[in-house]
Amino acid sequence: MSLAVGDGRFVSLVGPSGSGKSSLLRAVIGLQQPLSGTVETNVAPAQVGILFQDDALLPWKTSRDNVALGLTFNGMERSKALAEAEAWLDRLDLAGFGDRFPRQLSGGQRKRVALAQVLAMRPKLILMDEPFASLDAIVRARVVKDVVALVEHESISVLLVTHDLEEAISLSDEVYLLSQGPRARITQRYPVPIPRPRDPVDSRTHPAFAPLYAKLWADLSREVDHRAEAA
Amino acid sequence: MLLDPRYTWVRQLAAFTVLLAIWELAGRAGMLNPMYVPNPSRIGAALIELFSDGRIWPHLDATFSAALGGLALGIAVGILLGVVAALVPFIAELLEPVMTVLNAIPRVILAPLFVIWLGIGLASKVALSFILVAVLIFFTVFTGIRQVDRRLVERVITLGGDRWALVRHVYLPSVTAWVLSNLKIAVGFAFTGACVGEFVAATRGLGYLLSFAQSTYNAALMFALILLILVVVLVIFGVAERLEKYLLRWNRV
Repeated sequence: MSLAVGDGRFVSLVGPSGSGKSSLLRAVIGLQQPLSGTVETNVAPAQVGILFQDDALLPWKTSRDNVALGLTFNGMERSKALAEAEAWLDRLDLAGFGDRFPRQLSGGQRKRVALAQVLAMRPKLILMDEPFASLDAIVRARVVKDVVALVEHESISVLLVTHDLEEAISLSDEVYLLSQGPRARITQRYPVPIPRPRDPVDSRTHPAFAPLYAKLWADLSREVDHRAEAA
Repeated sequence: MLLDPRYTWVRQLAAFTVLLAIWELAGRAGMLNPMYVPNPSRIGAALIELFSDGRIWPHLDATFSAALGGLALGIAVGILLGVVAALVPFIAELLEPVMTVLNAIPRVILAPLFVIWLGIGLASKVALSFILVAVLIFFTVFTGIRQVDRRLVERVITLGGDRWALVRHVYLPSVTAWVLSNLKIAVGFAFTGACVGEFVAATRGLGYLLSFAQSTYNAALMFALILLILVVVLVIFGVAERLEKYLLRWNRV
């Protein structure tokens, strides 16, 4: 399979469960060795961030310490890292929550802390593994909106894995469809002709949205049916 | 007032007082044999006597030294062995069956052996406290480390943390949490070890005094000592709880 994420591009990968979407991300960030083939990136490993499905914050650290963690790993002085962390919490509407522990935050707030944790590293590429799946609709819309704004502003490339087609289309510049696993491959690439800057909610009413959604839906259903027949 | 949850302690205290009063009155009415069940006032007097003539201090000192020494050693060695076994499979293979056996038997049966090996002094009591605590802490840490949340490990790695960062930010805090959640049980074990060791063979200690009280059929002294040990352990429980609350403050919602 071959897939490229251009500079500052938002790319989504959709596909049925078990097609290996998460494994792909894990291979890119080096948590997992690909069985064959190679992963090439033109950015240093330290410039790749990942946002997991769970927020995976350290429960015994305050949100400020959680955000500062990656910075100190990369040699930043602790006091400077904490100041930087505070600034990122401010940008993500979490001013005043720096002293809270993850258990004392709501799901949406935790997601924002996790986002601040990744953004503080000033990544060139962020991998996202269905990071919004656990949030309820309203919170999710708000977090997603902020993510899009920040990513556009910082011109960060994103590779998002999801099985939510609406989310994929409304956020991305390109959507790739992955076939049913095992031995999944990319079956098709769909450019999304919705202009930027974008509002993820408004882009759902863009005239290009509905036809693309219908097409993706049909293609994805065919993949799943295909599998059902083979079984 | 009568059912207000804020005054639970008042109701408990009242019930306890009433019970003591009934006990005292029943004793004075000759319904209880003081040979077996002395009046609360007699027990109180025995307790005061222990302190007023200063006789109790060397015994308290002996039991405290044995229990706290065994507790500290047991926690240290339990953590060390637990961490090593969790990280080195070869060590786990050797250690786990031994620990499982030690965990299954009532470890106090080792008390006479420790007396033969280490004499009737402090060392044999420390050893018994130690073995009781160490096995408990070993399993706490060993199973705990193997159940460390993989997602946290991956989070730290993907943020650029090295092996030391993992130990410091993931493993150590996890281990601390498990050890603290078992700290009260460990305190109880430590005092069990010290007192049982003193029953078996000793010249000092609360356990020794208890067995002395038994051999002289002094029920009042016995009740007084049981009460004393109860209070001592409760005080240490209070300290342990404070420590746990502070160090695990992140765990409260």
